Amino acid sequence: MISTNRRMIAVATLVCGFAVGMAGLLNYFKYCSTVEHIIKDRLIVTGRSVEGSIQGSLAIGMHLGDINTLPGTLERERATDNLILGIDVFDTDGQMLYSTDRLRAARHMPAGWLAAARKDGQSEWFAQDDGEAAAGISLTNNFGLRIGYVALRYSIERLHEPERRVAVQLAALSAAVFAVATLLAAGGLLLAMRRLARDVQALNTDLSGSTANGPNAAPARGPFGAVMQRYMATVREAETRIAHLHTELQRGSGT
Amino acid sequence: MNKNYLRGVYLQLAGTVTLVVMLALAAQAYFSQVAFERALTPEMARKVASIGTSVRSLVLKAVDNGIPFEAIHGAEAYFDDVHDDSKEIASINITDTSGRVLYTRLSTPPGAAAHFSRPEVLALTDGDAPLARVGDQYIVSMPIASAQRPLGMLHIGVNTRFVNDLMLDMMADVLVVLVVSLFVTLELLHFLAGAKLDHSLRVLGETFERGAAGNFAARPDQGLDHTFGALIRRLNGMLARVNVAYASLERAVEDSRRVPAHERHPGLPAAQAGLKALQQRFRFGIEPQAEASTTDAELNKVRAPLFVFILAEELTRSFLPGYVRELMVPLPWLTPQLVVGLPIALFMLIVALAQPWLGVYCERKGHRQTMMQGAAIATVGFVASALAQSVLDLLLWRGLCAIGYAMVFVAAQAYVLHHATPATRARNFALFVGAIMAATVCGPSIGGILADNVGMRPTLALAATLALLSMAVIRQLPDTQFAADRPAARVPTWREIGLLLRSSRFMAVTVLAAMPAKMLLTGVCFYLIPLYVVSLGSTQAMAGRMLMTYAVMMVVMAPLTAGWAHNRERMRWLVGGGLMVSGLGGLALLAGEQVGWVFATVLLVGLGQSLSISAQSALVSEQCAAEVAQLGEGAVYGVYRLLERLGNALGPMLAAVLLAAYGYRTSFVVIGCGVLACGAFFVLTARRHTAHESATTPMLAGETPT
Repeated sequence: MISTNRRMIAVATLVCGFAVGMAGLLNYFKYCSTVEHIIKDRLIVTGRSVEGSIQGSLAIGMHLGDINTLPGTLERERATDNLILGIDVFDTDGQMLYSTDRLRAARHMPAGWLAAARKDGQSEWFAQDDGEAAAGISLTNNFGLRIGYVALRYSIERLHEPERRVAVQLAALSAAVFAVATLLAAGGLLLAMRRLARDVQALNTDLSGSTANGPNAAPARGPFGAVMQRYMATVREAETRIAHLHTELQRGSGT
Repeated sequence: MNKNYLRGVYLQLAGTVTLVVMLALAAQAYFSQVAFERALTPEMARKVASIGTSVRSLVLKAVDNGIPFEAIHGAEAYFDDVHDDSKEIASINITDTSGRVLYTRLSTPPGAAAHFSRPEVLALTDGDAPLARVGDQYIVSMPIASAQRPLGMLHIGVNTRFVNDLMLDMMADVLVVLVVSLFVTLELLHFLAGAKLDHSLRVLGETFERGAAGNFAARPDQGLDHTFGALIRRLNGMLARVNVAYASLERAVEDSRRVPAHERHPGLPAAQAGLKALQQRFRFGIEPQAEASTTDAELNKVRAPLFVFILAEELTRSFLPGYVRELMVPLPWLTPQLVVGLPIALFMLIVALAQPWLGVYCERKGHRQTMMQGAAIATVGFVASALAQSVLDLLLWRGLCAIGYAMVFVAAQAYVLHHATPATRARNFALFVGAIMAATVCGPSIGGILADNVGMRPTLALAATLALLSMAVIRQLPDTQFAADRPAARVPTWREIGLLLRSSRFMAVTVLAAMPAKMLLTGVCFYLIPLYVVSLGSTQAMAGRMLMTYAVMMVVMAPLTAGWAHNRERMRWLVGGGLMVSGLGGLALLAGEQVGWVFATVLLVGLGQSLSISAQSALVSEQCAAEVAQLGEGAVYGVYRLLERLGNALGPMLAAVLLAAYGYRTSFVVIGCGVLACGAFFVLTARRHTAHESATTPMLAGETPT
């Protein structure tokens, strides 16, 4: 019985581990995608505000590269959200036009970002490389032609901070649920197995009673009761016939 | 009795685990929701604050331009635009410095007016953007102040449902986890305890039955579960007592017979006659071998490695077309759709063509070695597929997976056959098919979820791990040798193939039923559905759920419909009807193009296939009795399986050609129409055959007139 019990505990552990582990994994990934979505949306809101300023200037006939008030606007917008590392404005060739970070002013937009920004049919885009990521907006003129891009740079590390915190919480939660579920499932399984053990025990008791009192004492109970009665009847018949023949033989020797 | 009793115990065990897992998942969902709410609410507040900053700057611009704060025209229409961009926003209000509402839009929660007037809210400064729960909304409040003076407050509400919606979004996946857990539970119960329990119960039942029938011959130790050991020992003790008594009687009779005739007991003739009668009525001594029970125990050992290995392949089912598309490179003369279908078709083609030869190979090398080699080859294939750089090398790696799959499949099937007697053949095959179906339920759904969340390459790596794990279980299999008295496996000859291709009865069941059914399965379920579902903006997990639904339909319905296939006439109706129902599945997309209609397609295809699958295979020997008599069952079934599996390979190619030419919906519909037509034509052909048979042959035993 011990080995069966161990196996049942193994079943409970493996099944609960699988179910709780999968659900925990799903929860974690769902959280990550949601928080990333919220954060990107938040960056896009700021990006839209920058875009609004640029469109205002373009509407009065200014050229994208000649908006003198834009650096101040970019700096102001960057200060509204501590997640934003910097805001850059590029032309369609990836040439930097404005940036809140002076050191980046002479740089080109990273190729991966430019490729993401140039994808057809989307005004918002997202790109990332080692350690830095950007949420961006495509700028179009009154004729719907793309004239440049706004990129709001943010740190991936900062993005992952809340994810790590929640990962720890979810791991602890999953471990606790797993432990309780495994205990309950193992207990439940062992309880269910007791039915089998009880039936076998009853059979054992009936059999030992029958052995002590002769094979005719087996009661017909439990799932094996009927067949056991037939079994005992046949054993009884055989033993009676053997005993009878022994007696026959003995009686003959006595006369 | 054994079967029902064990089923009762099984149901209790599986029910207990499922209930606990359900409770655990519910508890986890609840506590995760609490954790999410705590973690997401501040993030949402920051996002709302960003929106608020934007709204506020527009208001301030209006005020800077000389418009009075209380009379900004179009402010509320602008709030609608803000809501259009951010659907989670439930209310926007602007109040004056006393908390009186000046502009309001959307649904302001009850109690909001009082909240807006609270001194601590009115005293908020720029930089604070705390979140307050008012009714069913979280409210973010921000001050609006010009350079000269404070003007009022902006309040933006977000519905608290956004976290609940997130959890609801996950319910489908959690349900999938629950269903898969149930199947995993059953497999684990079977692997870790059930097989031994089943064996022990069977031995116990057999011991009782044998004893009740008068067979007291003792059996050697049969490796029983601990639970039953003492009981069986007691029973064996009782049998030993009878055997000893009988042996003693036999000795006494023999001793009496050996003495001189004048000294013999007068009761000896009667005792001798009694002994003879005893020998006729009962059986004493020691049973030479307990072959059947040992065979059962050994047979069960193949289920676990087969399940784990097939699970590895099934994991890839829901995302493989998407993965191929990611690795696409332009190939001259081939449309992108055809290239996406190539790895699936190549896999099926290799499995179809290799199986006859692998049967011969398996006989030479043994089951265990063939399965080990197959699993090893597939493991390499999965690892390489996970690292594939383009569709070209992926084709090669999927080819390896196919060879591995075919080897494991053929060896496992041969193992089951090796341990089967005519009486246990159906039961043994149920075990084989059961393991495959359980893997088919679990694999695509979990694979889809993992591909969506972890990525497709890591999921392929997991498939490799599972294939590797299956090797550890395959090692536990006994190294069985093929019995010399069994007919050797062989590859069908060209002559046999030619003869069968000329048989209208054989071609009816193969070309009109088996091949279209498989083409529909692989073309629609394995190729079109994963691509179409993702093209609708849904996920790989959804495609996985669809394929799981198909498998669940098969698991639930196939055993029922197998019971209906009593005679030839019914088999024909089931095959024809099943094909027509499957075909209707393809036509379901005429009604609409949403995911719901794809789901209807899967349900109908699953129902149709479950109706026809058992009857179809049985119908081959029923309908082609003359061919079986001439060529042998092995050759007829060999060619039938070969053509059926070629249908598997043709399905994705046909679907790809249709997709390139006509798009998704038309492809579904055309394939559906084709299968529907095949089903109708099969029924007509079958009626003609039935009429011909009634006119020329006497009715078969057991058949009922129609």
